[in-house]
Amino acid sequence: MSALLELRGVGISFGGMQAVDNLSLAIEDGHIAALIGPNGAGKTTVFNMITGVCRPNDGQILWQGRDITGLAPHRIAALGIRRTFQTIRLFADMSVFDNVRAGCHLRARQRWWQGLLGLPAQRREDAALRERTHDVLRRLDLDGVADEPAVSLPYGLQRRVEMARALVAQPKLVILDEPAAGLNDAESAELSQTIFAIRDSGVTVLLVEHDMNVVMNVTDHIVVINFGRKIAEGDATTVRDDPAVIEAYLGSDDEGEPAA
Amino acid sequence: MGTFIQQVFNGLTVGGIYALIALGYTMVYGVMRLINFAHGDLCILGAFIGLTLLTGAAGSGHSGAVLLLLAFVLAVVVIAIAGVVLELVAYRPLRKADRLSAVVSALGASLLIENSIMLIWGPDVHVFPADLLPATTWSVAGANITFVQVMIILSSVLLMAALYFFIHHTRFGTAIRATAIDQDTAKLMGIKVNQVILTVFVVGPALGAIGGLFVGIYYREAYFTMGWTYGLYAFIAAILGGIGNIPGAMVGGVLLGLFNAFAAGYISSSWQDAITFALLIAILLVRPTGLLGEPDAGKV
Amino acid sequence: MSGHTQSQPVPPPSRFRVSGLAGPLLWAVGLAIPAVFDSSWVAIAAVFAIYAINALSEDVILGRGGMFDMGHAVYFGIGAYVTAILNTSFGWPIFATLPAAILLAAAAGALLAGPLMRLRGDYLLVATIGFNAIFVLTMQNDPGDITGGSDGITGIGVPSLFGLSLASQSAMFWLDWVVLGVVLLLMRNLDRCELGRAQRYLKQDELAAATLGVDARKVKTQTFALGAGLAGLAGTLFAVQLSTVSPASFVFTESVTLFAVVIVGGPGSVPGVLLGTALMFVVPQIFRDFAQYRYFVFGIAMIAVMVLRPQGLWPQRRRRA
Repeated sequence: MSALLELRGVGISFGGMQAVDNLSLAIEDGHIAALIGPNGAGKTTVFNMITGVCRPNDGQILWQGRDITGLAPHRIAALGIRRTFQTIRLFADMSVFDNVRAGCHLRARQRWWQGLLGLPAQRREDAALRERTHDVLRRLDLDGVADEPAVSLPYGLQRRVEMARALVAQPKLVILDEPAAGLNDAESAELSQTIFAIRDSGVTVLLVEHDMNVVMNVTDHIVVINFGRKIAEGDATTVRDDPAVIEAYLGSDDEGEPAA
Repeated sequence: MGTFIQQVFNGLTVGGIYALIALGYTMVYGVMRLINFAHGDLCILGAFIGLTLLTGAAGSGHSGAVLLLLAFVLAVVVIAIAGVVLELVAYRPLRKADRLSAVVSALGASLLIENSIMLIWGPDVHVFPADLLPATTWSVAGANITFVQVMIILSSVLLMAALYFFIHHTRFGTAIRATAIDQDTAKLMGIKVNQVILTVFVVGPALGAIGGLFVGIYYREAYFTMGWTYGLYAFIAAILGGIGNIPGAMVGGVLLGLFNAFAAGYISSSWQDAITFALLIAILLVRPTGLLGEPDAGKV
Repeated sequence: MSGHTQSQPVPPPSRFRVSGLAGPLLWAVGLAIPAVFDSSWVAIAAVFAIYAINALSEDVILGRGGMFDMGHAVYFGIGAYVTAILNTSFGWPIFATLPAAILLAAAAGALLAGPLMRLRGDYLLVATIGFNAIFVLTMQNDPGDITGGSDGITGIGVPSLFGLSLASQSAMFWLDWVVLGVVLLLMRNLDRCELGRAQRYLKQDELAAATLGVDARKVKTQTFALGAGLAGLAGTLFAVQLSTVSPASFVFTESVTLFAVVIVGGPGSVPGVLLGTALMFVVPQIFRDFAQYRYFVFGIAMIAVMVLRPQGLWPQRRRRA
């Protein structure tokens, strides 16, 4: 049985700078995996390659054994891969509900002309998708703010709205880009529970985190990268005690690398 | 061979005019990312103002050269003021608004100026006086080159050289270039962006007024919708050279003038405009930053 | 506006609301226009209906799709010319030309969408200006002797329905008014359907939309095809109303006016676009004696509205999906 998602020797360079180099990793179905590394290690670039935002120069990305390298972002989404963004990208003019409803786009079966005709079948489909949206809002405790403009919410809630938008279509894999960034301690603790709940609902989770402590409690498998290369891999305790990891984190404090 | 040389000179003349007008488009676009749709109409308004002086003073006994000089000065001054008013009334209030609002405001200004010309001077074609300049022609390898052509080519080159010096070797020029690269950073560096934009709205229309008068003198006619025709061509020239790129507008103008002359000379003249627009679209698709621009479309 | 009762224009049909009863009610009241007003007013109302469809179709591409289309008169023109040519040269009945006009205009839109969508913002605007110019020049140059050159095509027939000839101005008005009603229904459905939603997602954040599975190419092509098809429909009605078509009706200035109608009225807002249509196309018909001031006044109005209300006269409400 092949892994849900596998990277084989993936590399990319931007203007001569090798951002990610010969990276291989595998994510098993039903796991909570994490990709960690100091700032500028190339974590977000790895995400961008998986989700089709940029195309790797070398290597292969496999989804359930099938090569998906270089597919357009909307095709990647159609496979059942959803993501959040490190810098939140909610639709600014829309309510929380409408933002989360947007995640249902691929669940809508209507052809464009059917929608324009406004047939009863389309209305039923719409009602079902509204219900699905409300379900997710309730699950993530967002139903109280459903009608608020999304960008008026505090940062932590906005992150949760983005998560809801990614989850509403029941993807197979959700990729969370630094979900703990900007959260306070209480919110971080809550985040762990949310991530477990996502996994328990049958969604595989891949986290990108800068802060190692956040991922230690929740992950089944951790991959550590630095300067675009894998430096360690394993469960939380293995990784934590790995000298290369300690070195990377301690030594990186004063590095002038740009944020990943 | 005679036809070839002839078309080269025709092309250089028209190209010089396009370049003078194109500079106004490209400078405004450079500093505020706005297509100033009213620019072509301003230029032709300049032609009408010059024409009015020329016909009004026809019997005054002054020599043609003096009258012509006066016409240029008057047109430049009035159009530069009109440019400033345009910026203050139609564009400055929209600096922070959606860019489409500014586009519609520019289109409105274009309609307003064009139809003001129509209401003041009437819808008919006005003929420029013929006896202002010597009718000297030179014969070069079977081609006839007129005094007017030489005058237009030489003055265009001179004006462009002056502008190039202004942009690259004065403090104001540096401020304009800095604003074009990044308005916010320029502001942080202490550059008064509004002042820069005003300067651009003085220099661009001033050069444009000269271009507009050249159009009138070269074709010996002026009509109120001319601003669209020549404005559009000059605008294509600006895109050809990479909009926002000042030397590019000069090169683009000359290239378009030559292209037009040869398209009219060797291909059918009724399809000449269609060919020019097809060329424009092809360039936009293949190389949207223009022939001289960096191959990076991220600017817009 | 106060004056003689008989010269009062109809209550502005711009009071339509997308939801609620006010819109349908006003539309129904509009049906009575021929019973109350003389035929010159009926003709003005018919022209309003035609240009309202045209402006709404521009709004599909510009307001909802967020694509700077400044060559919309091309699709309007294709519809009008297809009807004119098929009717006068091939003897097709008007109603038989209608699907051809819509489909050909939509096909042109979809075809141009391919290269156009690679361009953004101002570049897109310039390219559509270019297409508009090429279209008009082609119609003027009359390739294959089918477009009638600068004079265009005259003698377009009268539509007939079930053996009933819609020859009177009132009958033509009702035809236009009913078609406008259908288009308004389509716009309402567009607001609520997945295509309309996808347009809004793309307009706000193309990358975020793509990661949710929105196929930008597909949505933009559909948007162009829909907008162009509706413009083609308006073109057929226009050819019938004037019984003649010529290149002058589809020049760049017409595209600019349509563009301005949408932005001045309020992009994405049906009542805004209808109000814009009334101001830009109907008011000039009323003040015909001052025709030469038309674009002068437009120019001032466009600047004034943008400076005072950059979001448009009747902006789109923040709506629920």
